[in-house]
Amino acid sequence: MNETNSKGIRLDPRTELLLLIIANVVAFTYSAQWIEFAVIGILALLLICCGCIKSALKWIVFFICLVGIQYYVIPILPKILVIMFSVLTVYIRKLFPCLMIGALILKTTPVRFLIISLRKWHIPQKMIIPLSITLRYFPAIKEEQRHIRDAMKLRKIRGFSRKLECMVVPMLMSATGTADELSAAAITRGIENPIEKTCIVDLRFHIQDYICLIVGCIFIIAANITY
Amino acid sequence: MNQKSNKLQVKDLVTIGIFSAIYFVINLVVMISGGITPLLWIFMPPILSLVCGVIYMLLVAKVQKTGAVLIMGLITGIIYVATGQFTLVLLVTFGLACIVAEIIRKITGYNNFKGNLLGYAFFSLGMVGSPLPIWLFRDSFSQQMVTQGMPADYVATMNAATPVRVLVVMVVATFLLAFVGGLIGKALLKKHFEKAGMV
Amino acid sequence: MITYLDSLFKGGNFLINIEQVNFSYQGEETHGSLNQINIHIKNGECILLCGKSGCGKTTITKLINGLIPHFNQGQLTGKTVVDGMIVADTPMYQLSEKVGSVFQNPKSQFFNIDSDSELAFGLENNGIAPDIIRQQVNKTVHDLHIENLLHRDIFTMSGGEKQTLAFASVYAMNPEIYVLDEPSANLDRASTLTLGKQLKHIKSQGKSIIVAEHRLYYLTDIIDRAIFIVDGKIIKEYSREEFLKLTDEERHQMGLRTIYQKNPPYTIKSDIDGELQVKNLSVKDKQHIIFDNVNFSVSSGEILGILGSNGTGKTTLMRCLAGLLKEHSGEVLHHGKKLSLKERNAICYMIMQDVNHQLFGESVWSECELSRDEKITDTEIENSLTFFDLLDFKDKHPMALSGGQKQRLAIVTGIVAGKKILIFDEPTSGLDYDHMCIVSQTLKDLAKQGHIILVVTHDMEFLEMTCNQVVQIGGNYF
Repeated sequence: MNETNSKGIRLDPRTELLLLIIANVVAFTYSAQWIEFAVIGILALLLICCGCIKSALKWIVFFICLVGIQYYVIPILPKILVIMFSVLTVYIRKLFPCLMIGALILKTTPVRFLIISLRKWHIPQKMIIPLSITLRYFPAIKEEQRHIRDAMKLRKIRGFSRKLECMVVPMLMSATGTADELSAAAITRGIENPIEKTCIVDLRFHIQDYICLIVGCIFIIAANITY
Repeated sequence: MNQKSNKLQVKDLVTIGIFSAIYFVINLVVMISGGITPLLWIFMPPILSLVCGVIYMLLVAKVQKTGAVLIMGLITGIIYVATGQFTLVLLVTFGLACIVAEIIRKITGYNNFKGNLLGYAFFSLGMVGSPLPIWLFRDSFSQQMVTQGMPADYVATMNAATPVRVLVVMVVATFLLAFVGGLIGKALLKKHFEKAGMV
Repeated sequence: MITYLDSLFKGGNFLINIEQVNFSYQGEETHGSLNQINIHIKNGECILLCGKSGCGKTTITKLINGLIPHFNQGQLTGKTVVDGMIVADTPMYQLSEKVGSVFQNPKSQFFNIDSDSELAFGLENNGIAPDIIRQQVNKTVHDLHIENLLHRDIFTMSGGEKQTLAFASVYAMNPEIYVLDEPSANLDRASTLTLGKQLKHIKSQGKSIIVAEHRLYYLTDIIDRAIFIVDGKIIKEYSREEFLKLTDEERHQMGLRTIYQKNPPYTIKSDIDGELQVKNLSVKDKQHIIFDNVNFSVSSGEILGILGSNGTGKTTLMRCLAGLLKEHSGEVLHHGKKLSLKERNAICYMIMQDVNHQLFGESVWSECELSRDEKITDTEIENSLTFFDLLDFKDKHPMALSGGQKQRLAIVTGIVAGKKILIFDEPTSGLDYDHMCIVSQTLKDLAKQGHIILVVTHDMEFLEMTCNQVVQIGGNYF
């Protein structure tokens, strides 16, 4: 979230989104094991370069644990537990590169940059306006839930479905009012102007973006020719 | 500006955005509270279709225009994919499911409860994209596990745990529970929102 | 009629002309509707629109910024012309370049998560070149002294900061006309005065200002004219001098809030033997102390006002007293017995600033059922509802009630839950004089029934009218 005190290199959010797509492709290509390890290693390196050292270590430890469980723990478990856990571990392991890039995006990319990227890709306003509202509304939900939880505690509301109802209904109620007020504020500030929107943030590809994308492409090729 | 036209106005877009946020948060809450048990995780789509009916029903009541459901589905898909939690498959299934839901809404005229219920059932199928890769890339998964040096009987067990009929059961359950979820949603709509004069 | 003819002759001199406008909202008969409105505003003027809630002052602001007819549906006749543009025929984005709008609720008028994007938002929408946007934003930051708001997450800002940011983002667009709809409704005193300063600043630049408000004290040196509205009709127009000369009695009759700033009464009672005693209470979060060494005591039948600037932890104090948050040190005693977190939760109740968060039922009656104590009988619930004028609405959905009714329903839910101590968070924000008096009377009634009442408020007029004693937390309020 904080743009001013980020350490390390900075990627264009478009690069990050493209990397995510590449990671998806690589994940579902049947490939040699070293490729998987290399992908994880390089992504950890990327996280470190972008200043997320702690996060990189966390993912590596997590990955080692996962592989460890898969090779050493699961084979000695009773069959029922194998069924329970093997699906999960295999799948998470597949998803690992995506999760790491996701973490990179969450940690280093402000929401506005993502929106600007989508705008640069000419995604229509009809998609961009609701998406920016969605992202803006998450913290509002958190705030609101705090109040609602307090109110429920003061009134001793019991029962799971009742509780769920009490959490969801006021949230949907206030959503209606907020939608009214937010859209009034937005249209008095020219959101309906058909002119092409400008942007004070200058997003452009730098050398690090090209390097990342080239490395990504190499992995796609490598994944497809090795087995 | 004619707000009665079938084109989405700023207010509609903002409404869709807010409902998508609520839908996503509830999704995440259910996901986290059920995520500890792996089998539950495969059956997340049916659980969600049971719980999220009220949000969908309120959205289609508020925005009776083409595109509302499609945008909500795509937003959910985009956020999941962009945070790396699910694969691109999810975005594709959400896209397809929502297009079907939009067609149903168009045919039944947006203000038809049965149409909206059926639309919700299809919309719910969008979440099927989350565990779908297990079956979609099954062969590549197991081949890879063998090359990774896993014992063959282990791989067999793993495949046995997720036969295609589990997929079928999951899809059918999602679809059917969506009707229950939609009815619950409608009941809540009547109990609160219609009574408060908010729909 | 005379003003109308006047405008025909001098039409060219006016920046804003509202001529013979009638309006009613779709699905609403009277609330906020307008009846034969004629207003003419010259370039550089500052106009105050005043009157009770629902009198139509907000509706007039919407005629000028174009939300009527572009956003709110309804029956409209007559004509509004703003800076040569016929509002009904001009698209909103074109109007938005000339007319800037600030609204009541600081929480729901920003579109971004970070303050920098928010400042640039309007200019970006209008396709202004990035270099010019940067210049404009820098100028805004400099002119309004809001360096502290840059590079911030808006969700960590106080209500006052959010409202300042909303004003600044409009300022960055450099409109000719500012339209403000109860901009101070949710602000504390310091933020209200900041807003006053900002308005003075834009007035000195020759901008025109139209402000609909209940709170008047911060506007006294800014306004040129005040327009008094009752039930959608303009009753009287005052010059600034005439308006400031209104006696308290005239003002109360008109239903207006105080014109002059009031200081808090310094009647801080220091007795320590009240029924409820708070001793050296402190709350800490992970990093720092939120408040430290709060002491007061209060008995049943008394109303204690709690003052403190933003960020001094008033909310935290309330949550701690209500047993929603653990104290770091100190104690809360009731009849000399120390109360645990759970016990506090059992005897305290909070009426929140936004009561919508605490009403869950599908009808007024079920709302009471939901929180009733086992000992409370149906008759007792009925009595409470009758006392608060709610029995007639017992089958209505809580969300279909008016703001004041919702607040009273929230109080009833506390009473039927058998709560002894009632804590109010800003119960009068955005209320006109009459409604404030009703709330004040309600609190006095509750005290008389033997409740202990704590009120967190910024509203000095209300405080003076209502509270027996006052504590300040976090140092001096002034």
